[in-house]
Amino acid sequence: MFDRTYRERLETDLAQWEADGVIAPEAIAAIRAALPPLGPGVTIAAIVAIIGGLLIAAAFLAFVAAHWTELARLFRFAMLLAGILVTFGLGSWFARDGRAVLADLCASVGAIIFGAAIALIGQMYHLGDDFAAGMLLWAGGALVAAALTGSRGALAVALAAACIWTCARFLESHDPHFSFVLIWLLAAGLTFAWNSRVAAHLISAAALPWWISAAVQPDLEPGFAFILADGAALLFGAGLALATTPWQRTSSTGAVLSSYGAILLAVASSLAVVTANDNAFFHSISRSPGQPVWAVACGVAGALFALGAAVTTRRPGAALAGGAIALVLLAPATWPSSQTGEPWLAYALELCAMLCLVVSGTLDAARPRIVAGWIGIAGVIAGITWAVKGSLLRRSVFLAIAGGAAVLLATVLGRLLPRGRP
Amino acid sequence: MTGLAASFAERFARIPKIVLFGAAALVQVTLLVLMVIDRVRILREGTEVTLQTRAIDPRDLLRGDYVVLGYDISELPAGEVRYKRNDARNRIVYVKLAPGGDGVYGAVSVHTDPVAVTSPEVLIRGRIRYAVNCGYSGDFFCDTLQIRYNLESYFVPEGQGRQLEQARNQRKLRVVAAVTRSGRAAIKRLVVDGEPIYEEPWF
Repeated sequence: MFDRTYRERLETDLAQWEADGVIAPEAIAAIRAALPPLGPGVTIAAIVAIIGGLLIAAAFLAFVAAHWTELARLFRFAMLLAGILVTFGLGSWFARDGRAVLADLCASVGAIIFGAAIALIGQMYHLGDDFAAGMLLWAGGALVAAALTGSRGALAVALAAACIWTCARFLESHDPHFSFVLIWLLAAGLTFAWNSRVAAHLISAAALPWWISAAVQPDLEPGFAFILADGAALLFGAGLALATTPWQRTSSTGAVLSSYGAILLAVASSLAVVTANDNAFFHSISRSPGQPVWAVACGVAGALFALGAAVTTRRPGAALAGGAIALVLLAPATWPSSQTGEPWLAYALELCAMLCLVVSGTLDAARPRIVAGWIGIAGVIAGITWAVKGSLLRRSVFLAIAGGAAVLLATVLGRLLPRGRP
Repeated sequence: MTGLAASFAERFARIPKIVLFGAAALVQVTLLVLMVIDRVRILREGTEVTLQTRAIDPRDLLRGDYVVLGYDISELPAGEVRYKRNDARNRIVYVKLAPGGDGVYGAVSVHTDPVAVTSPEVLIRGRIRYAVNCGYSGDFFCDTLQIRYNLESYFVPEGQGRQLEQARNQRKLRVVAAVTRSGRAAIKRLVVDGEPIYEEPWF
């Protein structure tokens, strides 16, 4: 889909450049010849066929549901197995026929039927005790299907089930649920093997619920935003490090992962400022020994990854991204342990971090990072302004000083940097 | 390393699609069959224990067509595990059961690890539901434990849940469960006034 849009843009540019006399017709022909043929994509006929297939499947499910209790249990069980076999059978037929989209859809539907079958068998055989274990079974089956068929949809199903599994286990246990990492790494392996941008987005998105679950655990109370920041640092830093690798498979996945990490970093930074005015926050931070070691280790690892990427590539964008991570991680150390003072230094660090993020994204031409930085700046300013405790006048002074510092910095940079550079 | 991966990818690409899709379906079907076989194994090999059901919170009675079952052994004094450290919220515990004079099994003791039992005693495995929030940091067992045994829900044909609910509230409903040596349990039959009304087939 995106490839087609790019081709259209390229054709428009080529036509314009040819009309302007910038480029010779022979060169244009050579560029066109160098481009690989476009894939078939999703045709209108395929879309209509997909909708038709979904309607038939829905009708079948409604018919079965209407007669469910009248059917013999063994027959119901056989129907569930047949549903899986037929779906994957259709998928193999489409795959052999070269219809990759429909084959992927069949594998995805097969993975969903597998999940439904687990729930229904649990109901039929009274096995509803361990919800999380059911989710793990679903995730495992769907992941195997994804690995064998190359279905991105099945991978999405597997990761969604795995996220529910890990969140359920988080609720049951006081400890972070590290078993999820194994499934996540397997999914990441598939992403590298497929060299798929869709899969890269899926694994990046799947990492977020784990960190959110880890952060909202009541036992890890001292500022859940700080733990979220540790997770963001790891994703962002690891993504940046992967993006510097010479292999296209890992570098493109790393770029996507770093975008998600940057967005999570911005959200964590905003949340840290917003929750700073919460009574419970001060109470918890004053009586708690601090963030758990594993979370801090993840944050530090993320910062080191980013630093390594900056050293390897010698790009200022990566260095500033590492700086943003370091500043967000440093902010909790400057937070006052009581409500007597306001965390001006921490506010300043969070603002600087988000500014670094925007500049880093601009230097690296990474649009998601720029958006994340602006979101973070907006969130941090809103958090400072939102505060109901303390002096509003002092906040006003702080924001004015911060604004003045930014204008001064812009003036200095404007004079130091050559024209035409971002 | 890259060459090895490329070689693997090349060999994988040569496998016919029908084989790959077939393998995916086979794995999923096998997992589902294993679910059922595992339960059949409990029913076939497990020792039969009769458990007395009891009325529970009416707000949780019926959801659709399944009955929520509570047992006399669902709420137990913590005994020797009282004020012991509990490192998980839904921790697994083992309850030693022994038959009473009427043939109904009752709880003898609660343990955090499996213990040896002698016939006719049975060890059943359960998960703590509530009452683990004692102590300053909330990670110690309380005086009373609420335990689930994977026997708490039973799906029935439409419209028959209400009768079971009434029988349960009048303490006429008993459940015969199969319990394996490892403590895993499954409902084998439902008995009202000594008469079996639902018998669970193996398949």
